[in-house]
Amino acid sequence: MKKYFITFIAITLVTFAWVSCTDFPVDEDGLLITTRGQCYVSNFELLGVDFQTVRTKSAVIDTTAQTINVEVFFGTDLKNVYPQFSLVTDAKLDPKIVGKVDFSDLANPKVYTVISGNRLVKKPYTVYVTVQAKP
Amino acid sequence: MQLKHYSLTFLTILALFFTACQDKEYVLPTLDGGLHNDCIKRTLGPNVVGLNIEFAYAMALPQTEGKIISAQVEASIAGAPTTYLEHRSFSTSGSGVDVPVTVGSASVNTGTKTEVIFSKDTCAATLRYFYIIPEEARGKTVKFTFSAKASNGQTVSYEMGPYSIAKMDMKLDLVVSDNNNSYISIADMAVYNAASAATNAANIDLVYLYRVIPGITFTHALVSPASSPDYLPGITLPSGVNKSTKIWKVWALRDQHLARLQFGVFIDDVDFEKLNFTGSPDYAINLRAEAGTWVETADGKYRAYIYINKIDNTKKEMTISIKRYPMQ
Repeated sequence: MKKYFITFIAITLVTFAWVSCTDFPVDEDGLLITTRGQCYVSNFELLGVDFQTVRTKSAVIDTTAQTINVEVFFGTDLKNVYPQFSLVTDAKLDPKIVGKVDFSDLANPKVYTVISGNRLVKKPYTVYVTVQAKP
Repeated sequence: MQLKHYSLTFLTILALFFTACQDKEYVLPTLDGGLHNDCIKRTLGPNVVGLNIEFAYAMALPQTEGKIISAQVEASIAGAPTTYLEHRSFSTSGSGVDVPVTVGSASVNTGTKTEVIFSKDTCAATLRYFYIIPEEARGKTVKFTFSAKASNGQTVSYEMGPYSIAKMDMKLDLVVSDNNNSYISIADMAVYNAASAATNAANIDLVYLYRVIPGITFTHALVSPASSPDYLPGITLPSGVNKSTKIWKVWALRDQHLARLQFGVFIDDVDFEKLNFTGSPDYAINLRAEAGTWVETADGKYRAYIYINKIDNTKKEMTISIKRYPMQ
């Protein structure tokens, strides 16, 4: 009986030790670094201060040219909008979006970089915003 | 040692078994004599001048000890003249309907006191008290002392509060229309037509307009007079109407005071204080029913929330309700 008990404890301890020694690397943001190398934007949304979409239609994402083209309603307050990026699994965005963003400088479109899950691939995406023209 | 452990365990189990098998005789609870009272506040949300604070005050004593002869509420600040204490006691029927039973004469307000004299021989009643918040209470706190008197000379009392009375104002159901009352004054909490706007130019904060422009979505809009002409198509402003009001759109903030819908959401003084209008636009277009706008007047004197109760595309008009908070 005692022998079985000691064996059980030993196996448990070895298991715990093995698990705790397994390396799960994290990046500077505390996010898990995985083996995924994919790096792209799958969806893009732009919300106004009322958290309603300001897009007139779906954003066009070109993963080859690394561009996002989005048209917004006439009268959209582009100084105060919330962009939302949907990324491939494990990827992250730089710079981070922490609140309202000013997209009003249409001549100088904003660039966001997508970083793959393995943190080895980086792809900058340029967001081109156009405002619905008044006839 | 092992034998000792077994004995101890056995005794413990035996003790537990014995205790669990004790048969407790049910005893009828003895009635706690004397006059007793209790009170609850029924209204929720901020206390706004002009609205009421409702309480339900319950009092009772054993039937053998006497009857209730009066109930009274004393407020620290006298309520508006329409303040009253119900002279009917309500009970809820099986179908959930409140059924009233008259227990006394209508309440009388004397200074800060509101009293009901009982005429019914009753030993228990629950009366509702409606304190209509007076202008004098704005920005202050108010508390209440509920009391009841029984025929055997006993009295009881119950303290409620203090409750803060909001600084904000409220105006409901103003109709703004594209071709008539299209000028909104936050300072006056009123809407004006072009002629009246010209005489109240210093107080005009927003212009309402409705436009259907092919290719863009404009529809119902609230625009600051000083905004770009792009957002005031076809509008010729009355002389002197030129203020730059900050405004931003909000969706689904259905304040219960303004919307009178089922949502338990209330805008309070503190919400206005915490707003940050830095970088806010001076126009809000494409507005919809049940949406709203936060507004700050050009002089920073007032902040307001304009809730859109109803829109009518055919009549080109909106029904709005406003909560306004003085910042200075």
